[in-house]
Amino acid sequence: MQASLLGRLLGRSCVGGLVASLLLSSWSAYAELQGLTESELSEVDGAGIGLVLENFKFAHGTDVDNGQIFKIGGLKSTDGRDVEIVVNKLYVAGANSNYGETLGPVNLGRLVNPFKIDVLDGNDIGVPNKAVLEFAAPEMVDAALGYDCLSAGAVAGSGSCASRPASAELPNGERPDIGLQMNLVVGEDPSANINIHAQSAVIDGSYLRLWGDNARKQMVAQFKLNFYTPELSINACKPDGSGCGSKILMQNFALELALGNELQPMFFDVDGNGHFILEIAAIPTPQAGTIGSDGLRSSSDGAAWDFYEDYYSNSEYRSNLTIGNLSVGDRDFGSARVEGMLIQHLKIETRDLAP
Amino acid sequence: MTRFLRTVIGHAMALSAGLVLVSGVHAEMSRLEDGDLASVSGQGGIYLSGDVSINELGGPVQNSYFGSCSDTAKKCGARLAYQLKENGGWMVLDDIRGKFSFEGLTLKVRDIDSGFGGDGELFNRDVLEIGLPNIVRFDSVEFKVATSSTARPTDPGFQQTDIFSIQMQGDVMLEGNLLVFPTGSP
Repeated sequence: MQASLLGRLLGRSCVGGLVASLLLSSWSAYAELQGLTESELSEVDGAGIGLVLENFKFAHGTDVDNGQIFKIGGLKSTDGRDVEIVVNKLYVAGANSNYGETLGPVNLGRLVNPFKIDVLDGNDIGVPNKAVLEFAAPEMVDAALGYDCLSAGAVAGSGSCASRPASAELPNGERPDIGLQMNLVVGEDPSANINIHAQSAVIDGSYLRLWGDNARKQMVAQFKLNFYTPELSINACKPDGSGCGSKILMQNFALELALGNELQPMFFDVDGNGHFILEIAAIPTPQAGTIGSDGLRSSSDGAAWDFYEDYYSNSEYRSNLTIGNLSVGDRDFGSARVEGMLIQHLKIETRDLAP
Repeated sequence: MTRFLRTVIGHAMALSAGLVLVSGVHAEMSRLEDGDLASVSGQGGIYLSGDVSINELGGPVQNSYFGSCSDTAKKCGARLAYQLKENGGWMVLDDIRGKFSFEGLTLKVRDIDSGFGGDGELFNRDVLEIGLPNIVRFDSVEFKVATSSTARPTDPGFQQTDIFSIQMQGDVMLEGNLLVFPTGSP
């Protein structure tokens, strides 16, 4: 296989001659090299690419006077009027940005635990005999080594997030402030202004895995989104930014969303009419007689029982949302939790609103 | 053979002739051991500035659907369609056009053995550093996200739903360094 690849490369161009002469000229050093056997070669793991952003700062927005425009259009309201979103400001910057007023640099990813693009062996992650393409944020670490995911003053050993908050030793921090300020214009209505800010945000443990399904001949995915922030705020102001209404403040906001898993992957499709379809398949029902009428393992087929036991008890398949404290203006609503959500079946299909 | 290859080969021939000519002084040179060679690392860098434009005035295809940007009845942006399922419909990035200008995109190899809150010392390796250009100027950059029944808009039965469009103009702040390195244990 290697020989034929080399042969093809050599046959393709005259560079082959050059390569051959280089190989010959390095003959004297050849004796020092050792051959790699086939079995040794098969142990070599496809190394992925690690990505770290150092001193990163991103900002864009709309400032018509200075020729800056950032618009999202082409949307329609349910009554058929055009909706235009004018993004006044979108930023990703260092912590303590005071809602995007003072943008400082931030590091994203750690050298020892970076963002990664990798091809995984499906056999290791429950997708048999497939190569799986993965885009991943820094991995979660052991709680004895990591940092609390929510606290902006977390110290080592306080939690399982790898990204560190800004501190005296690490002024940039690895948790960005992220914000989006936008004006929403519906038809001729005066625009509404909405601002969303997340402070010291962490997405550790998030990933997107993509592969192909043989039976359905379709692209499938598994998406895990972890999003932690000590403060997520939403408010609405007058279109010119002066005078704002009550602020919806979510403190210690933690979202752990699991869309698709190795047993129920997420399918993407566009149907014949050009509509986008996203589907999370239902878990197959047990074959007749494999699960006993009393539901106990002793009266069931062991393998089938274990399969469903794992499916219903595996916390990796479940989504959680926790809000430490929710307040609107000066009213406190206390904490809210939605835990252990399991998606049994989901199908989202876009539709044309325009007649 | 491309002109590039011909140039490369030309240089290589000149190089080998040079090697023959300097063979007389060969005896005065000392051999570099493998270990010494391994510690030599490239110190150069690349600095890039310029602009990239996509279909600013219109693409090369001229037909019933695509045309010049001055013709309002036709689309002039680039189109990228990808199919997610065999015999299924197509996801489309449509009407991609505009110009990105940047100054000072840099590329170099950097050895990191300190900093990063203690991570640098643990890491102690080389990375490829892409220095972001601080400001990227977007000139009438726009694209649409759509779904379509066929790959080409000229195919029979073509039907398309535009989901949303993005329009960007002006200076975008993009500061920092992107560090790229292999992970895993080869």
